Amino acid sequence: MIESDGAASLGEARIEAAYGSGDGDDDSSATVARPMQGKIFEQIYRPWNGPLGPRWVRNYAIYRHHVYGIVSGSGHRRYHPFVRLLLLVVILGSMTPILMLLLSTMVSDDATGFLNRMWGVNRYNLWGNVLGYFPRNLCMWPLLTALVVGGLISDDRRNGTSAIYFSRPVSRLDYAAMKWLSAASVLAIVILLTYMMYYSAAVVFKGEGWSFIADTIPIFIGGLFAGIFLVFTYTSIGIALSSISTSRFTASISFLGYILGSKLIAWLIEIQFNTTYVYMVSPYDCLAHVGQWLVGLPSNYDHPLALSVISLVAMNAASLAIFASRVASLEVTRE
Amino acid sequence: MSDPVIRIRGLRKMYGPHTALDGVDLDIGSGGIGILGPNGSGKSTLFKCILGLIRITEGGGTVLGKDIVTMGPQIRSRIGYMAEYDSLDPGLTAVDHVRYAGELLGMRPDQATQRAHEVLQYVGLEDQRYRTIDSFSTGMRQATKLACAIVHDPEILFCDEPTNGLDTSARQFMLDTLRRTISDGGGTVIMTSHVMEDIQGVCERVVMLSGGKIVLEGRIDELARQITREIEISVWGKATKLEEWLLTRGHRVRRMGRIMRVEMNGDETIPAILLGASETNAQVRVLKEYEPDLEDIFLLIMQRLGKEAKGASAIIGGREE
Repeated sequence: MIESDGAASLGEARIEAAYGSGDGDDDSSATVARPMQGKIFEQIYRPWNGPLGPRWVRNYAIYRHHVYGIVSGSGHRRYHPFVRLLLLVVILGSMTPILMLLLSTMVSDDATGFLNRMWGVNRYNLWGNVLGYFPRNLCMWPLLTALVVGGLISDDRRNGTSAIYFSRPVSRLDYAAMKWLSAASVLAIVILLTYMMYYSAAVVFKGEGWSFIADTIPIFIGGLFAGIFLVFTYTSIGIALSSISTSRFTASISFLGYILGSKLIAWLIEIQFNTTYVYMVSPYDCLAHVGQWLVGLPSNYDHPLALSVISLVAMNAASLAIFASRVASLEVTRE
Repeated sequence: MSDPVIRIRGLRKMYGPHTALDGVDLDIGSGGIGILGPNGSGKSTLFKCILGLIRITEGGGTVLGKDIVTMGPQIRSRIGYMAEYDSLDPGLTAVDHVRYAGELLGMRPDQATQRAHEVLQYVGLEDQRYRTIDSFSTGMRQATKLACAIVHDPEILFCDEPTNGLDTSARQFMLDTLRRTISDGGGTVIMTSHVMEDIQGVCERVVMLSGGKIVLEGRIDELARQITREIEISVWGKATKLEEWLLTRGHRVRRMGRIMRVEMNGDETIPAILLGASETNAQVRVLKEYEPDLEDIFLLIMQRLGKEAKGASAIIGGREE
């Protein structure tokens, strides 16, 4: 093995060779690498005495590993390029109202104009930016959740990588919390951040004053809470399904099947029997019902709001209970 | 033995009605220690208890002075664990995987990156460190797991079947690396393996579990000395007749094809073998005193234990009645 001195490792030798930065009085002899002495690998055990950070450092490492993987090509959890591409498409898609607002401003569309009615800030549009069925809750949010959350726990089950967490000072609570938080963060960035950008863009592009903000901020906050509930619920259901599977495909398709399938069944029953009670099994409809109340819209559902709230709480509780129980069963050693 | 780094007293672990560990008392000092036992003997449960991962039914102990019941995270930050089965993310490169393993211990990202390069060089993966795990051979995967386990220079290293699935050269390299980790790292390596030769190659001491109890504990060379000595002979022709001749005269014989091992009984054994060979017309081509290895100790103990665990003193050095 070739030994290198400090100068060489700092690149001084190369700088010297390239630019002749020495004083010129040095010995005019070429420096050549020493030949190999018949040994191509020297095994050296290097001790380490550095400090180990506290609990939050370890937890942040888990969080960073999962969230940075979305934008970083290497060094963190690997997301398939298709997932990252879809994420970009969803972000851009959810920002289209901002472009339409800009267009509305540029063509001097007034408050009653078509563009302003369609994409300007009002109760329906603020609700629709988070809870509108098409395209957001049919094509965008469920697919995004399925792809981001699907492999979060199932990959650990399949690859046995839970051992690298639990054989280290990472508790199961920290593991579960950080996994959940990293998934929720990605969804929140896409769903809530674009929602906030939309509202801010409306204020800026239209040059709205304090009175407009005072009038609309309660509706905006209502929509924001509806978005938080959506992120919470979708993450919980998605991660629960991921935790009971060893295949990210199964987890993802189960999530899509549940979100879209329950809505479809409830809709078929509604048109057949003229009742909306079955929408209680659909997470989307429960969220939409609660969201309508939060932003002050008339309800589309016949059943009481309390039932949707109870259903949402039950769905989240059941999902988190399944998730906790499956994480508790993850093994470190195997018989 | 030096001051014990692991001290276990009266450890009992029950899974419902099943007793996985039954009153285990154990002191482990520095150096290499092998944990042996058949499947279901409680090796993995003992590991989990020592790592502070499961609730103990009764008893307790300390690892590096930390209580195993209440200080699991503190213990796990000072030990390294190399799992038996695949526990690597196939999409990550080796250096990223080891760096992440370091970060999960609380290392800063820059420290973890630097350390990942160092330990990958140590385990022989310097040139392969930017390859993804899914392109690795079994040997390279095992080496990566070892690198993950030693990234923070642990005081105790647990290796669960470290040579599983390795070819001869990779296995030898792994054993050399573990030996060097003990000698240069100065810590404790606790390993399990079904290959007794591997345990013997790395460890000085051995702990044998059966039915949740420790049935044997001590230095391998001392245990080997306690086993009844045997004469090994290589027989060509009439081996069965010679075996029968020896058995009828009260000698204990273990036979593996043409190789026979005859339990040494004072100075009379060798003349008896030669007499038997003469009378049965068997050709004895090799006759030597047999040096028992760990496998012999293990097989003998398991044979004598039957299904029920007994005290170690009743097993080693004593004849089965």
